[in-house]
Amino acid sequence: MNRILVIDDAATVRMYHRKILGDAGWHTDEASNGVEALERVHAQDDDTAFDLYVVDVNMPRMDGYSFVRELRRLPARHQAPVVMVSTEAKAPDASAAFDAGSNGYLVKPARPSGLVLTAALLLGDRPAALKAAAGVKP
Amino acid sequence: MAIRYLKKHAALEGSVSVDDAESLTQWLQRQPAPAVHLGKCEHLHGAVLQVLLALRPKLVAAPADPLLAAVLRGA
Amino acid sequence: MNQTELLEQFVIEARECLEAIGARLLDVERDPTNQELLNDLFRSVHTLKGNCGLFDFKPLERVMHAGEDLLDRVRHRTLDYSGELADALLDAMDYAARLIDQIERSGRIDDGADAQSIVHAQALRALFDSVTAAPVAVVPAAAAAPAVAVSQAAPDWLARLEAALLAAHPAATAVRYLPEEGCFFKGEDPWRLASTAPGLLALHVDGRQAWPEGDERAAWDCYQCNLDIVLLSSAACAALEQHFRCVPEQVVYHQPQPQPQPEHQPEHQALPLPLSTEALDADTDSDPAQATLRQRAAQLWADQCALLARSGLSAGTVQATRKTLHGLLAAVDDAASKVASAELDAVPDARLLAWVRQQALQDQSLLADDPAADPAAVLQPADSMVSELPQRFEDSSGGHPHKVLKVSQEKIDRLMELIGEMVVAKNSLPYLAQRAEDVFQQRELSREIKAQYAVINRIAEDMQHAVLQVRMLPVGAVFQRFGRLVRDISRKLGKDVNLVIEGEDTEADKNVIEPLSDPLIHILRNSLDHGIETPDVRRAAGKPAAGTIRIAARQESDRVLIEISDDGAGVNPVRVRAKAVERGLIPADRAALLSDDDAVQLVFLPGFSTVDTISDLSGRGVGMDVVRTAIARINGGVDLRSVHGKGTTLTLSLPLSMAVTNVMIVESAGRRLGVPMDLIVETVRVHTDDIHHFKQVRTTVLRGRIVPLRALNELLALDAEPLANEQGELAVLVVRIGNQNVGLLVDHFQGASDIILKPLEGVLAGLTGFAGTALMGDGGVLMVLNPKELL
Repeated sequence: MNRILVIDDAATVRMYHRKILGDAGWHTDEASNGVEALERVHAQDDDTAFDLYVVDVNMPRMDGYSFVRELRRLPARHQAPVVMVSTEAKAPDASAAFDAGSNGYLVKPARPSGLVLTAALLLGDRPAALKAAAGVKP
Repeated sequence: MAIRYLKKHAALEGSVSVDDAESLTQWLQRQPAPAVHLGKCEHLHGAVLQVLLALRPKLVAAPADPLLAAVLRGA
Repeated sequence: MNQTELLEQFVIEARECLEAIGARLLDVERDPTNQELLNDLFRSVHTLKGNCGLFDFKPLERVMHAGEDLLDRVRHRTLDYSGELADALLDAMDYAARLIDQIERSGRIDDGADAQSIVHAQALRALFDSVTAAPVAVVPAAAAAPAVAVSQAAPDWLARLEAALLAAHPAATAVRYLPEEGCFFKGEDPWRLASTAPGLLALHVDGRQAWPEGDERAAWDCYQCNLDIVLLSSAACAALEQHFRCVPEQVVYHQPQPQPQPEHQPEHQALPLPLSTEALDADTDSDPAQATLRQRAAQLWADQCALLARSGLSAGTVQATRKTLHGLLAAVDDAASKVASAELDAVPDARLLAWVRQQALQDQSLLADDPAADPAAVLQPADSMVSELPQRFEDSSGGHPHKVLKVSQEKIDRLMELIGEMVVAKNSLPYLAQRAEDVFQQRELSREIKAQYAVINRIAEDMQHAVLQVRMLPVGAVFQRFGRLVRDISRKLGKDVNLVIEGEDTEADKNVIEPLSDPLIHILRNSLDHGIETPDVRRAAGKPAAGTIRIAARQESDRVLIEISDDGAGVNPVRVRAKAVERGLIPADRAALLSDDDAVQLVFLPGFSTVDTISDLSGRGVGMDVVRTAIARINGGVDLRSVHGKGTTLTLSLPLSMAVTNVMIVESAGRRLGVPMDLIVETVRVHTDDIHHFKQVRTTVLRGRIVPLRALNELLALDAEPLANEQGELAVLVVRIGNQNVGLLVDHFQGASDIILKPLEGVLAGLTGFAGTALMGDGGVLMVLNPKELL
């Protein structure tokens, strides 16, 4: 079962993302900033390691970019695709996301099908991806 | 050890930097049948690319990078 | 989880944001250049706006967006903070609060809110913009590059790109990059820059001027850059501009078709790039979902290219990217992907970028008859990291980070209820044990039950204590809104007042804190109205023009003390005495005998008011008696100290928690009643002969002191005389009220019990004389008295 860590400082957004991703059939966990997120990461063992990180850019204590950079320094078992979510649609922010080591970049608020499709693709879950793709408006 | 100058061709291997452009230029100009082997070339500097485009040596083996290969072919 | 829960969460967080915004606004007023405060303020608005976007709350989002734009300018110092700005923001937040109330009530915003929201949004925007209302939706801003040239007419160089390719990607951007001659000497590598551009579809490199021929070659300088680069990219113009930001004057962009500015683009900006043109063309499957999937997968694939092309990649990134690539291939799941997937793990890191690009372009095989790739890559990826946590991101305070859970009030109340029930239920065990022994002659069993009861009792007490801790709220929760109150009222009255709050982290039970709000507001209003003088009067008195009201909370053993002090006019004992006499509240001679300190206490008498005109702010010229009563209801006390001309200090003493109350159960007129044990001095039986009657008052002598006696029945308006026992003795419960002992005449004593006191609610809440109710072990309800109120 794929496990996703949702990281965002707004509780409502966390709940929203977890609902969407949970409905797609994945297990979700959450953290409200980069420091907490790293704790969650370290709390996992090989069986429960995360398969995807959905990371908000703007967070107190440790922002999304810093979290991803720190994550990328950790041993292989913690490594998984990262998709950053931001309110900014500006290119420099997308670029910064990749500089930090993210694999994808979405603009908030992500349409449910869009977020699920991206997640499904990064997780390699074809059935979920097809389902989500059907819901994406062209 | 980016360029190995062999009998029949110069083998560009790994990462070829800007400094190598000069020696490559001179070597190619001295050759009767200038040829380069890029099979093991990972990266090359723009100056080195320029040399290849300017002097048009024969391509014994194309580089793995499809972009670079296409540029060298198209030229 | 359903939509309702999500909405509830939205409302909770929205209110938190508004609260934070309100508090920060006041902080910023005092310290307008504090960057941290400004950022904090911005963040709260930003979060709330973001949350609105998850739902369809356009009017609210509109207002918040305007606020966000405004505050963004303020925090970046392009706009100055001002009182006007604060007022507009406060207005807007009040409006937002109303909208949130609507959402809480009905799950949506009422129709017709649009118009008003526009008014508020415009009011905010007017503060920084002479042109009103930018669009609500998030508009991706192009990276500001002054020298960016975007040509519309087809330039010559476009012809170097294949027509077929251009046709296949109508919305792609063509770029021509002419590096300057001396760029190599500057350490630039235009080839690297061009080949790592995002969304690359095609890349051509030629010579700007003709390459040297024949004799020219000998003299040719290979370090004079002569490259002429043209590329086609599916990335957005903004992304490309960002990529070429260091050489804007050397780059020209062309878009064959103008690209419309997307109003609200939730997805990644790069346009769809087929993972492989062949695969798409050959794909006769007209399933749109399939097509969308491939498109998005291709986009993400291109992103991985861009990622891998960056320098300084960490091993972790590469590992994660491999997983990503596997994921993408698994999702696409066609023949080509399966092959690629099988190959992927064998591709060394150094070759990864090339391999990934290869899959994307998927033209004829680019590898001529070359020997297989050297498995031993020249570049080794960094060794696996030591599994040590870098110190950097740990909590800078050094301690274990504080974990906080947000729980709804209802859940806590429910927990309290359940524990209460358990406390009561456990109380029946001793009775059962006794019955086992007495009725069923089960001595052993009785002993075991009693032993087990002791264990359960301890656990229950611990649980109770733990839950009560959860119910503890910081008093700051109540003090929060006072900042605004003081500000608004002081401005209205033309007074300058600083509110200082200390000890807001001091905690007390929720049921103690919440009823504090009204009395505190009364006290503050009085202070603002009658206490603090106008700046002129103050200056004349040698005081600073600005008055100070200080609210300080602290804990002392099992009480919470809240002190409200001001440096205003204080209470005038002369006027108070006169007023009290005038109102007939105290005889003139008595009044004259009172010391100044005692005279000041007269303000607590019901019906007292120190002003002639009833100020509209304080309503009926709220008297201190109302305040005292309200505090007494939560088992608290009020103390007033004042120095005329200097100021006034009110000290509220409150219980730390409404914990388990130990009560003495008594019976009177057939009713069972509880009296809080901490008020009880003694229980005694007094013979009727020892009771003296004096006018209407009964007294007796206990331990050499006169103790007035009151029949509980009388106090409760129960029509019965206290019952004497066989010896003609009356049961007297001596309680301590204030500084005096009073004996309550009851019919029977029934022993002590631990109960959880539940304050009176609803219709009964107005009842005086009762502290609350408690559920008894036998299911009955015990009315618990508040003797202070009775007498």
